Amino acid sequence: MISLAVSIRDLSVQYGRRLVFQGVSFDLAAGQAAGVIGPNGSGKTTLLRTIAGCLTPRSGEIRINGLTPRDALGRTGVAYFAGDATLPGAVRAARWGSLGNGDIVTPDRRRLRALSRGTRQLLGLRTALGRQPLGLVVLDEPWEGLDPDAGRWLSTILETKRDRGAAVVLSSHRLHDLAGLCDVYLFLLPHQATVLRAHEIATVGPVTAEHLSNVFDRLRGGAMSLRATS
Amino acid sequence: MRDASYLFHFFRVAPPVPPLMIWTFVVTTAVAGVTVATDPRRAAGALAPILLLQLFTASSGFAVPARRGHYDLLLTRGGRRVHVALAHWAMSIAPGVASWLVVALVERVATGGASRALVASGTCAAFFMVSTVPWALTVALPRFAGGIGWLLVLVTSASTFSTGVFSDWTVASTRVDGLVWPAWAFVVYPAGAVGQTFTSAQSLAAAPGLAIAVCSMVLACRWAARADVPLEAAQ
Repeated sequence: MISLAVSIRDLSVQYGRRLVFQGVSFDLAAGQAAGVIGPNGSGKTTLLRTIAGCLTPRSGEIRINGLTPRDALGRTGVAYFAGDATLPGAVRAARWGSLGNGDIVTPDRRRLRALSRGTRQLLGLRTALGRQPLGLVVLDEPWEGLDPDAGRWLSTILETKRDRGAAVVLSSHRLHDLAGLCDVYLFLLPHQATVLRAHEIATVGPVTAEHLSNVFDRLRGGAMSLRATS
Repeated sequence: MRDASYLFHFFRVAPPVPPLMIWTFVVTTAVAGVTVATDPRRAAGALAPILLLQLFTASSGFAVPARRGHYDLLLTRGGRRVHVALAHWAMSIAPGVASWLVVALVERVATGGASRALVASGTCAAFFMVSTVPWALTVALPRFAGGIGWLLVLVTSASTFSTGVFSDWTVASTRVDGLVWPAWAFVVYPAGAVGQTFTSAQSLAAAPGLAIAVCSMVLACRWAARADVPLEAAQ
């Protein structure tokens, strides 16, 4: 069991002069999953990339097992995947698959750009999740483009990784995939970040997509009225 | 060691040099090899196209593919970023270096070891220049930017000053005022030094250019190690 925790305190990130998000704080223990929900352009990808050590926050801090993300990368197995668009199209599928843990993920010799979007997405996920051992899993819109079978495979493998002690951070627009899988939900709206634990969203029974949708609509309504009055 | 082997494995799978450039090197090397084999005196001239090609191949660009997410698997693995940058540089220049070594071998075989123009100090210095500065200039820019910029400086210099200073790279004296033009000529057109064994005056004239190459590599690696890598689509 890997004892790892993600701790984010008052995090803000900006590109040049544009503030992407601010005031994001949450904790995630080893063996827990967090779901990031928000409209397009709210900073979900940027937040996940900051957790993966690719971006430096403007203010606030991220600690992974007490270390900065870049230091933690070297000591913790991190699986990060930001979608099929990040795969280089000229590379052959079988060769890309060998970059995970060296195992053959697919025998397909076609170039990545010749594959369907879902096949690329699945290959990217399998390669990233192939690393062993994994202490932190950070996936950006992982269910995008996947067929139902592949979607179920992903949900199962994420539950397995989580139950084996990995901390999991996911973003998705597909609320029914996030519902029930996550212990913490971060609603990222322009100029507003709200963190709710699963038991705060659904006091009885598991969190459903409807619960998440209701909370999201309520928060979005609040944010819009806030903007209208300011 | 495992990290180094993964780095090189990654850049073999996702090479920084497009296959078309590799094939161009194969053809250019074949032509240069035949030229040197038939007339070893033309060795320096035969290497010029390889140097030009290396100028553009080394301008491979690190930041742009990184911002497209192509190197995410590598950057989130936890190795030192400076090692990633150096592996990227090594794989960017490898086809040119291989090409150079093949032609140098042909020269050695063709002359029975009598001529060593293609491994002379001037040739090594010229190859070092075109293998480092363009990569360093292009580290944060799109592919070929360093090569295009360099050619622009060369064309501007050649049209502004006498072209003789570039084609015939001789250094008459070790006095500072006598070194300025040769030093500039070496920076702008290092191919002029190919085939020459440096005299002490030539070494002095080449020193600023070589220092620029080393400094540009240090700065580029430092930049690659510290720079943020946002996803292009998310900005």
